[in-house]
Amino acid sequence: MERRIVLPGELVAEGNYRLGDGVYREGNKIYSSLLGLLDEKKGFIRVIPFTRKYIPKAGDFVIGKIIDIQFASWEVDINSPYRAILNVEDFREDLKPGQVDLSKFLSIGDVIFAVVKEITPSRRIYLSMRMNNSTVLRRGRLVEVTPSKIPRVIGKKKSMLLMIKREIGIKILVGQNGRIWLDGTQDKINLAVKVLRKIEKEAHTSGLTDRVKEMIRRERDRK
Amino acid sequence: MKVGKPERLIVNGKRLDGRDFDEMREIKIKAGVLERADGSAYVEWGGNKILAACYGPREVHPKHLVKPDKALLRCIYSMAPFSVSDRKKPGPDRRSIEISKVTRQALEPVVFTRLFPRTAIDIFIEVLQASGGTRCAGITAASVALADAGIPMQDLVPACAAGKVDGEIVLDLFDLEDNYGEGDMPVAIIPRKKEVTLLQMDGKFTREEFEKAFKLAIKGCMYVYEKQKQALKERYE
Repeated sequence: MERRIVLPGELVAEGNYRLGDGVYREGNKIYSSLLGLLDEKKGFIRVIPFTRKYIPKAGDFVIGKIIDIQFASWEVDINSPYRAILNVEDFREDLKPGQVDLSKFLSIGDVIFAVVKEITPSRRIYLSMRMNNSTVLRRGRLVEVTPSKIPRVIGKKKSMLLMIKREIGIKILVGQNGRIWLDGTQDKINLAVKVLRKIEKEAHTSGLTDRVKEMIRRERDRK
Repeated sequence: MKVGKPERLIVNGKRLDGRDFDEMREIKIKAGVLERADGSAYVEWGGNKILAACYGPREVHPKHLVKPDKALLRCIYSMAPFSVSDRKKPGPDRRSIEISKVTRQALEPVVFTRLFPRTAIDIFIEVLQASGGTRCAGITAASVALADAGIPMQDLVPACAAGKVDGEIVLDLFDLEDNYGEGDMPVAIIPRKKEVTLLQMDGKFTREEFEKAFKLAIKGCMYVYEKQKQALKERYE
């Protein structure tokens, strides 16, 4: 289905709908509040913005950079207007606050793959690394795309992500905050970056997965 | 080149630049012109050339300005030294501080600031070339930049001025009419709700003249609104 481009203030529907992001109601009328694509199905309506800042949600996987070390926690930049906090006990169960020098485990500049554990009403963001796939990323390359394009990079049922991994043969970790970690040979990473830039630019067009697959095969055969 | 006071501002029923009383200057708007800003817009409005950049929502610095329940909207209007014929001393002055403030107040009602507590949304308006009506062009550009940055807002905010020259009510004053005319009235509106977010006036208007000028300015705003929408749509086509 072709999605329509809408603008802030544009009337998108009337009547009973459940509202998602990017829309607001005034009386019986529903208007868009963003520049993006209108997405409407089964009485649910929202606007997917072309670009936006990352606003954390509990349960999101994010790629963060350590920017400061406190007495019992790390401060983490998660590419968002809000800084995140990683407490020691959320890093490793057996560590207690004040027991050890935290810089032995993570120092400033380190990059982590973690999950958003909790957001308080005053917008304090707590991360956790006690999930199986949480890691410290010591090799590879980090690229950033606008966070609103992340669902497109992953694709329906991870179709896009799995296809890229399979076709190029590299390791990829995707953070909801728009950061993507790539690990493999330099050639493969360069190709993956090219692919990501294409997805970012053409995210609002349809049939993208097939075009990307074609592009990867073409680039691979050229070598 | 400085032009002195002309003898008359209306000659044979036409204005000095050849326009009719209710005719706008040519307007071109382009969204997303700056790579490093979250959102941006470039506006050419007659002889005005204006860049607007929008950043945010982002962390607030200095920290004591943080609002715990909503985003802080900040605007800075600034004129380049080479934007006018007598070099403008760089830096904020009384006039640009006032324009920064009215711009912020013109945009604040449409931005959903409560969605982003403890953050700041910064807007920078840079006048590269000025020829009358820069505050209106600035608000117009800023509102496109906000939408381009993906910031939720109720509607776009177009702005346009009307005024009085040689006793006639005219639309969209250019610099000579602004300097030597009898009155100037910039207006910014929320088109969908028909609400006014900026209304300033200098000079003397009778009640009838005021109403006529106000209606004309609204008409101008609606024209600008179409240009804004067109610019945003073009960015993704």
